[in-house]
Parts: sequence; C-alpha cells; structure tokens
Amino acid sequence: MAEEKIKIAVCPGAGCGGCDVSLVNLHEKLLELSELVDIVYWPTAIDQKMEDLEKIEHIDIVIFEGSIRTKAHEELLKMARKKAKILVAYGACACFGGIYALGNLFFRKELLEMGYLLTPSTENEQKKFPGELVKIDNIIIKIPELIDWNMPLDKLVSVDVYAPGCPPRDKVLEKLVEVIKDYIENGLVPERGVVLADIKTICDECPREKPDKIVIRRFRRIHEGPVDPEKCFLAQGIICLGPVTRSGCGLPCIKANMPCRGCMGPAPAVKDPGAKFITSLASLIEVDRERSLSDEELVKRVQEIPDPVGYFYRFTLGRGIIDKTQREEGEG
Amino acid sequence: MENDDFEPKIIGFLCKWCGYAGADLAGVSRLEYPPNIVTIQIPCTGRLDVQFVLEAFRKGADGVLIAGCHTPNDCHYFSGNFKALKRIALLKKLLEQLGINPKRVRIEWISATEGRKFAEVVKEFVEEIKRMGPLKLR
Repeated sequence: MAEEKIKIAVCPGAGCGGCDVSLVNLHEKLLELSELVDIVYWPTAIDQKMEDLEKIEHIDIVIFEGSIRTKAHEELLKMARKKAKILVAYGACACFGGIYALGNLFFRKELLEMGYLLTPSTENEQKKFPGELVKIDNIIIKIPELIDWNMPLDKLVSVDVYAPGCPPRDKVLEKLVEVIKDYIENGLVPERGVVLADIKTICDECPREKPDKIVIRRFRRIHEGPVDPEKCFLAQGIICLGPVTRSGCGLPCIKANMPCRGCMGPAPAVKDPGAKFITSLASLIEVDRERSLSDEELVKRVQEIPDPVGYFYRFTLGRGIIDKTQREEGEG
Repeated sequence: MENDDFEPKIIGFLCKWCGYAGADLAGVSRLEYPPNIVTIQIPCTGRLDVQFVLEAFRKGADGVLIAGCHTPNDCHYFSGNFKALKRIALLKKLLEQLGINPKRVRIEWISATEGRKFAEVVKEFVEEIKRMGPLKLR
C-alpha cells in the first residue's frame, strides 16, 4: 500500500443521519484521516447519486449506515459489497435493524397507509405511494419502493466489521480508525464479523452501586420523581438494558443519569436480547414476596410492563429469533 | 381450521424433580397420551431461559409446555418455579405483541406423583394446539 490513498465510501441506508453526524465527532482525527484516505462517496456531505458510486471501480472500505428498507437500499448495499474490501456496518440500524426494525411489527401496507394517508399532517390528494411516478412542478420523480421488511445488513450480505451504537460513540470510532490505519499500514483485513466494542456487558462496567439482591416492587419511568445517580437503575425500578447489552460505548447514558436502552446490541453470549432480558428482569420482580403473593397476583405484577417489544428490543428487533410480526395481514 | 391431519410438534421443558418425574410416572403407569410431545429435562424450571422457548418456535415447535414443581413450597431449589412463572407471564405478553397466540406456551405445576395430571395436560394441550393450527414463522 504505497503512495496512493485508500478509498472510502459512506453509504446511507434507512437511517436518521445521526451516524453521519457522529463521523464528524472524530474531530481532529477526521483531518488526520483525510490525509490518509480519499472519501470518494458520501451523499450526505456531497451531492452524489448512486450512479456516481457505480462509476468507481474499486473501494477499500465502505461504511454503511442505516438498515435496509427500500429497493434502493438493497441495490446500494449489494453494489457496496461487490466493490468493498471491508464492509463496515455502522450504527445500530446497520448492525441490528435499529429502531426502524420495530416497524416490522406492522405490514408494509399498514406502514404506508399510516405514513402517506392517515396521519393528520399528511396531504396526499393524488394518493401516491413510494415506488410510483409523481409529477411535481413538471418534474417527474420516483421515490424508491419499500420492501416488505426492514433488515440489518447481514440478512442480505456478509459484513466484515460491526460498529454498534446509536450513534457509535468515540470509543467505537477510535477502534474504527485503528481498523482503517491497520489496513493502510499493513494491508490487514479484520477477521470477518468483528465487533468494535467490548466482550462484557454494560452492567460489568457500570460504576453504580448494586445491592446484593435487586428487588423490583414497582416500575418507574425516568420522569417520575428523582433518580439516584449513584444507584443501579433496576434497583430503583427503572428498566435498564445493561444486563444484556454489550459495553464499549463508554457509558454515556449511564453517566447522564439515563438507563441503558441497548443500542450497543446484544452481549456476545446473548442470542436474543429481548428474550434474554425477560429472563433477567422477570426474576427480579417482587422477588422477596413470591411466597406471599398468589400466582395470579405475580403474573399480574409482571404484566404491568406495557410494551415489552418496544422496550426490550428497542434497537435490536432485527436480531431477534422472531424478528417480525407473525399475525395475518389485516388482523389485529 | 381444517387441520384434521395436522399433528402438532410440542416441546416440553420438564424440571428434573417434578415435571419430568411426573411424566415418568405417567409412562410407568402406562397412561396413554398423544405422542406429539418431545420432552427435555432441565434441572429446574428456574433454568429455563426465555430464549429456549423462542428457539423452539423458530425450529418448528407449534407449542411449548413447561412443567415444574407446585408453588409455593415444592421447588427443590426453593424458588425456581416462581422465576419460570414470572418469565413466562412476561413472555406471553411479548408473544402477543409479536402476533403469536400466547396460549402456545403453557406452564403447569405437575408433581412427581401426578402422572395422571401430566397425561391430561398433554392431551388437552395437543387438542388446543390442533385447534390453533400450525405455527408458520416468517
């Protein structure tokens, strides 16, 4: 790898743009990096279209943000995989489907109707949906068609490097820069599927004081009264996904007195984050009163949690053993 | 549903001390029950990870039965059965959100002397799942 700079492309899938902003969080390192690499494609920063990417013959590293939700994302990802030596799934959406994967609780048709017809702020007189040609001010445009389900990248192609987080934080970025430098200096391609985070859980690294026995009597939301900044969230009745979530983010939420919501994805030994969290959380509920409450009362107490999918799989439904709705379309 | 020839696949997670012993007694007593259940012995229902249940569904089970020791005082390990009870209660809520009939998971307390109850529960559960039809996961 001599004089010529290596080529990096940043490709957006279904995402919010937060990942793009987080890349800028490299601060001075971004300058350092820009001396070593050529960013040949980054439509969020420069006006480029997919055709521009097509013209570039070979790319060293593709950083793909967002999940796969439209035909255009699918095409872009396949093209990126073909051209890239190293494909990086960047952010929770690319790695686990992200918050958009919760859309998989609904069918495509239901989502489109809600988004393009039913919401009070929508005006869609022509009743046009993505995928159809629309004429606006004499210009004919076509918004890419939605595919049936939201997917993380690895449901479609193989992924070399996972950079989790929503968005990936400084510590993950530092590791990504190391990967890039390693590639430039030694031509090293990381082992397929490497995750740029730690192997421990958030709880393992959390400095909060944990009692020997955590008992949850009543669930509290974060806005309901003061939260002790020194004490374990679960011990305060606040749902925190620390027990099943991979660490390596630097605990920004915990330090800001907010519970973990799981954007780093499942810890290595966890196969299905939501199910594992149920295993962990349910056992804490009324644990000291199991004998004095009846079975029915216990069940009732446990089922007080209003939205288990939304909370336990907030960023990771795409990683679930069951990752989409199983009801019949039009039902329920 | 017209599922006359549908034979459900049911996975049974049975605790070593009660559920499994109960199933054993049903066998030794030559009680008849449908052959749709495949039993897996676990040391205690408290060992049941909710992931196991989802994995069973993903691998083709139409129903999952969990059988352990009676509450409040029978658990060999003191409180494992309570853990299972609470986990399954929360799992049922999750399944409902995922569009799976929560009745596909059933938790029962069956002691080592209740061979008859085990046979009855399996019979009943198989009938119930037959009425629901097969679980086809996407």
